[in-house]
Amino acid sequence: MKNEYLPFLSEIKEVIKHTDLEYTFRMTYAGDVKPGQFFEISIPKFGEAPISVSGIADGLVDFTIRRVGKVTDEVFENYVGDKLFIRGPYGNGFDIDNYRNKELVIIGGGTGVSPMRGVIDHFAKHPDEAISTTLIAGFKSPEDVLFKADFEEWKKTINVIKTVDNAPEGYDGPVGMVTKYIPDLKFKNPADAVFICVGPPVMIKFTIMEIQKLGIRDEQIWTSYERKMCCGLGKCGHCKMDDKYVCLDGPVFNYTEAKEIFD
Amino acid sequence: MGYELSRSQMDEIFSKLSSHYDVYAPVLKKGEGTFSDIDVIRYDRVHSLDEIEWEKRSDYSFKEVLFPVNETLFYFTEDETTVPKAPEKGRIIFLRSCDIHAVKRLDQIYLKNGFEDFYYARIREKTLFFLMGCPGDCDGGFCASMGTNTTNDYDMYIKLAGDKVYTDIKNPQFTQCFDKFNKADVAPDFVSENKEKVTLPTNLPKDVIDNPIWKDYGSRCITCGRCNFACPTCTCFSMQDIFYKDNENAGERRRVWASCQVDGYTDIAGGHNFRDDKGSRMRFKVMHKIYDFEKRFGYSMCVGCGRCDTICPEYISYKNIVNRLADEYNKKEGK
Amino acid sequence: MSLDINTKKAKKNAWRISKERGMGASRIRIPGGYCDADILGLVSEIAKEYGNGYVHLTTRQGFEIEGIHLEDMEAVNAKLQPIIEKSGVNQNPEDKDKGYTASGTRNVSACIGNNVCPFANYNTSKLARRIDKEIFPNDLHFKVACTGCSNDCAKVRMHDFGIIGMTKPEYDPSRCVSCNACIKGCNSLSVGALSMENYKIVRNTEKCIGCGVCITKCPTRAWTRSKQKYYKLTIMGRTGKKNPRLGQDFLIWADEDSIVKIIKNTYAFVEEYISPDAPARKEHIGYIIDRVGFEKFKEYALKDVELLPETKMNTNVYWDGIHFS
Repeated sequence: MKNEYLPFLSEIKEVIKHTDLEYTFRMTYAGDVKPGQFFEISIPKFGEAPISVSGIADGLVDFTIRRVGKVTDEVFENYVGDKLFIRGPYGNGFDIDNYRNKELVIIGGGTGVSPMRGVIDHFAKHPDEAISTTLIAGFKSPEDVLFKADFEEWKKTINVIKTVDNAPEGYDGPVGMVTKYIPDLKFKNPADAVFICVGPPVMIKFTIMEIQKLGIRDEQIWTSYERKMCCGLGKCGHCKMDDKYVCLDGPVFNYTEAKEIFD
Repeated sequence: MGYELSRSQMDEIFSKLSSHYDVYAPVLKKGEGTFSDIDVIRYDRVHSLDEIEWEKRSDYSFKEVLFPVNETLFYFTEDETTVPKAPEKGRIIFLRSCDIHAVKRLDQIYLKNGFEDFYYARIREKTLFFLMGCPGDCDGGFCASMGTNTTNDYDMYIKLAGDKVYTDIKNPQFTQCFDKFNKADVAPDFVSENKEKVTLPTNLPKDVIDNPIWKDYGSRCITCGRCNFACPTCTCFSMQDIFYKDNENAGERRRVWASCQVDGYTDIAGGHNFRDDKGSRMRFKVMHKIYDFEKRFGYSMCVGCGRCDTICPEYISYKNIVNRLADEYNKKEGK
Repeated sequence: MSLDINTKKAKKNAWRISKERGMGASRIRIPGGYCDADILGLVSEIAKEYGNGYVHLTTRQGFEIEGIHLEDMEAVNAKLQPIIEKSGVNQNPEDKDKGYTASGTRNVSACIGNNVCPFANYNTSKLARRIDKEIFPNDLHFKVACTGCSNDCAKVRMHDFGIIGMTKPEYDPSRCVSCNACIKGCNSLSVGALSMENYKIVRNTEKCIGCGVCITKCPTRAWTRSKQKYYKLTIMGRTGKKNPRLGQDFLIWADEDSIVKIIKNTYAFVEEYISPDAPARKEHIGYIIDRVGFEKFKEYALKDVELLPETKMNTNVYWDGIHFS
């Protein structure tokens, strides 16, 4: 029988600093991965932490890690060439097919953008696969913006609204919550619209309220839950909500399902 | 097949068994209870039938035999992991009907919910279950309400009756060692009715999450987790990485029992805690036992052993919470 | 009628001579403050028949039956016999039906102890009865009290000998779930002797006072009590007009037998060194030690005492307190 608890070694190929707190680690992994899935990463001298995949390339996966909590600090002291124990991928992830040939809107708050980055990348690279792709990404302030270089790329092929909650005077760009930009969304056919939104629970709540005002039905909305997934294997219980194990049944849920889950 | 034999004959068989198996049974630990000169009954290895507590229900369940409180998953260096060897011997667990039903719940999570658990499976497959009868209703148990008061699912039933011993053998591997004894009709002692009765609520509405009962009981809870640790069906654990003091690059990863009532259970990096208030933790626990486990797996989780009520230092009665919910919602349904 | 009473003898016989002429009160000792409820009925009977119908519950856990005419002393003494027997208090055989043989060594008092209290580390009233059996009757003025834990509800530090229950917490790391309950309990209720290292508990043995809070807080029985019961012996606390002081720790992690022996041994010390001028042979032991030195006291107290290897002894003890004279 396979021992799913045993991690394997993965090499850090590149470290990208986004902010003082957030970094992306590009690491080796040869296997199938879907955006929205997560790995359990062993942080030396601390322990395991569930980190979602923020990017996928040939033989490589990205993990965007916010330097918070005792678990995620240590990894920042590691350098390119070092190896970490990881295991995964776990969870269902986003199924690209759900968003093909649709009017796709992706709404993310802060680190909530990370698990969707693979989806954004996909449709930015293959804009023809969707009728339209719009990204609304919100960050606390200009200093907190993640994936700055990516936004420059994405802008070229998809609609991008990168907003910040607060900005210093003279800031050149959208300011305000992501919800502010939802009422202005226009669809050729609202029945073809699909939404993915990931972020803090409060943001999700108000974002979905705004989306519903557009006449969008629940089955057109997807979200991803962040929970304390200790084992990733449906055993430890920490990520259970109602009858769902986020690590097995999620973290991505269609809203028809998500709205029924009480925590 | 049932047999009657003498106590000394049984003792002989038992001593043979314990050379082939590690035998675990409820043991009364003198003075090891919470308070001074108070005893506790919990599972431990035994080498004779006399060491077993036959009368009273154990305070802590058998689950620690299959799922240790602390379990090392592997030892690690910077680039290698080593899995500790599995226990060489098989295990025999003495337990009662309600607990045999609890084994099914443990199996459900550890063997069938998604991945199969390597560590649980390797002990479980070498474990045999010996049924102890219930001489009478135990303190606070409500097995009859939960339908866990009887079972056929055991390898052997053993009943001590003075100089005599009665056994019922279900596992054919033991038939041979009993064949030389007198056959007898042996029916295990089961409880048919408890003083405590529980009705499960049916069709709980979604707004049960706002029921004031959770705050009410939550405000009394001290979040100690005793209910979870004593429960034979609670399976949660947390991961711990231990880094050795003299070589911080080497260490071991353990899993350790966790409780949904104790602080830290839902903390995520960054400090957010999804169930900060005690009421929502109480709700999470109770709903798991009587509602969402069943929704996922088709049968109720709680086996009605009553341990959680008996061990609660704040006299919170899980049983009473369940009955109050049933009272409130089942009546509404009837209208 | 003019009364002719040997008040010295009456006091020794556990009678109080009242401020009201001709009146007295009968003092009943209940070692450990723990008694058969029938005693209450017997006390009540005497109070109604001979007294004014009132009883004072004394600070040392006895009863004082008030308002008895001194000429009834003999009759009341006879009535005390079943109380003395039921409470298990020693009496010289020739004193049968004649009340208490002595009153100098005071009733050994106790908190409620581990019969009931979750914090207590031993059966305080049982030990109080054992000590009372060993040291009573005696005319020397000794005050002894037993308390179940370091909370010291029995205020044993105000006694010549105070016995505080301890337990050595035993830790099984394989049962520990790192829930922090013991650490929180020790920090909030006790001395903060616990910390966590690599998810397991480290007990600072220098700091730990053996109160047992960690054990009561532990939800998994990772912490349990030592089979051996331990005690802290505090000595020479007192109230009074000259120099009230708190008793100081003499022995820590001591056993019951050693403590009983030390208390008994101290009688010989007092016999030897009590001031010849002491009124009614009453001198607080602490003052005697002040006079003759702690070394001398130790010499007597520790005679034939075999302390446990783990017992810690303070080789010198100093008292402060309030000095009025």
